[in-house]
Amino acid sequence: MLLRVDPHSGVPVFRQIVEQIRFHVASGLLAGGDEVPSTRALASDLGVNFMTVSKAYALLEEEGVLERRPGLPSVIAILDRKKAQTSRMDQLRGALQPAATAALQLGVNSKDAAALLRRLIDDPEG
Amino acid sequence: MDPIFETQDLWKWFGGTLALSRVSLSLRNPSIVGLVGRNGSGKTTLIGLMVGLLLPTEGIARTLGRATHMLGRTELEQIGYVPDNPVLLHWMTVTQQLDYVASFYPRWDRERERALCGQLELARQVKVSALSAGDLQKLAIVLSICHHPKFIALDEPLSHLDPIVREQFLRFLLDLVAEDGATVVMSSHVLNDVERIVDWVVCLDGGTVVADAALDDLKGEYAEWQIVARNGGLPARFPEAFVLHQDVSSPMARLVVRASEAERMSFESAHHVTVTATPLNLGGMFPYLLKRNVQ
Repeated sequence: MLLRVDPHSGVPVFRQIVEQIRFHVASGLLAGGDEVPSTRALASDLGVNFMTVSKAYALLEEEGVLERRPGLPSVIAILDRKKAQTSRMDQLRGALQPAATAALQLGVNSKDAAALLRRLIDDPEG
Repeated sequence: MDPIFETQDLWKWFGGTLALSRVSLSLRNPSIVGLVGRNGSGKTTLIGLMVGLLLPTEGIARTLGRATHMLGRTELEQIGYVPDNPVLLHWMTVTQQLDYVASFYPRWDRERERALCGQLELARQVKVSALSAGDLQKLAIVLSICHHPKFIALDEPLSHLDPIVREQFLRFLLDLVAEDGATVVMSSHVLNDVERIVDWVVCLDGGTVVADAALDDLKGEYAEWQIVARNGGLPARFPEAFVLHQDVSSPMARLVVRASEAERMSFESAHHVTVTATPLNLGGMFPYLLKRNVQ
C-alpha cells in the first residue's frame, strides 16, 4: 500500500495512516473490495508499533471505510456514489484550508483566490 | 489483569537527597513506555525501583503484581533489564558471557540470541574487556531479552549505538512486543528515538511525574496555532489558561497551546480569528511538559 508515515510529526501516526487511506479511497487508488495488509504486516512495513496500525484500522472500520472479515484480510468497503463525492470534497477541503489561511494573511480576496485555483486546475502549466 | 508495574505515592531518598516524590503510576500490558526527562530527573532511580534493585523509602512499588522487596524466581525470570552502565565479566568472551547468563534461565532462546547478535552485528569471539562502549551495550541488550521476559526495563539503551544499529534494535523491540506481548520501558533523552516506537509517555521532572499519558493523546492536545484576525486587530495578550506561550504581532499571532478541538473552535469565534493548528511532536512539547511542573 502506498503509505508513508513520519513518526516525528506532531500528527499521531495512527491519524496519518487513517488520513492517507481515506485519501486513497477518495481518489479511487483503493477501490471497494481491495484487500489491505494485516496490522502486523503494515506495522512492520512502516516500522511502527502494531497497536498504532490496529488503532487506525479500528477507526476506519468505525467510519465504514474498512470492513473486517473474521479469519480473512480486511477489505476496503464499497462506498455509494453520494458518499464517495462527500469524501472527495472533505479531502479537498482539508488540503485547501492552509491555502485559505494564507490568502487571509496575504490579503488576497476570495474572488482572486478562486480565480487562481481555477487556473491551477485548468491550466497547471501556465 | 494486574498492571506490569505500579506505584502509589512513592518517595525515594538517598541520604539527604530526594530523588523521587509522590510518584503514582500504573503501567499496563502490552505497551512500549518512553521514560523521558532531563538529566537527574529520576529516570534511572525509577527503573532501579521497577526491577527491584532499589526499594522505596516510602510508598509502594509492585512489579508483575508483587511488592518489589518480595520479588521471587517467578517474577525475576520474567524481567529483562539493561542498566545504564552494564557490569559484565571482563575476562570472558562474548559467547562465554552469553552461555553463563543463559545457564540461569530455563527458557533461554538460542535462536533469538543468534538472530539478535546478527542484527546488532555483535562479534562473539571477542573478550568482553576488548568491547567498545557500543558493543558492551549490545551485549547487555542481548543478555536482557533472550529469556522472553514479560517486562523489559531499558535504561538509556541506545546512547552508544550508531544510527543503523539503533534502527535495527528499535525494529526488534517492536517485534518483541508484537510476538511476546511484552511491556517495554525505555528511558532516553533522545526524544526522536522514543517518539518513533512508544505508545505511552512518562515524563519526570525534578523527581516528580509531570506527564503520564498516551503519546497520541499528548499530540492531540499540544499544538502551535497560527492566528490571523478576520477583521480588525488582535488583543495585546490572549488570557486563556490553555495558552502556554504567545507572540502577538497584530493582525497575526503564534501561540503554543494545550487545548482541545472544542476550545479551538470557541477561541475562533470569541476572537474573530482563523486558527491553523499544527500539532507539536514530543520534542516540541517537551519544554512545556516540564513547565507544568513550575506552575
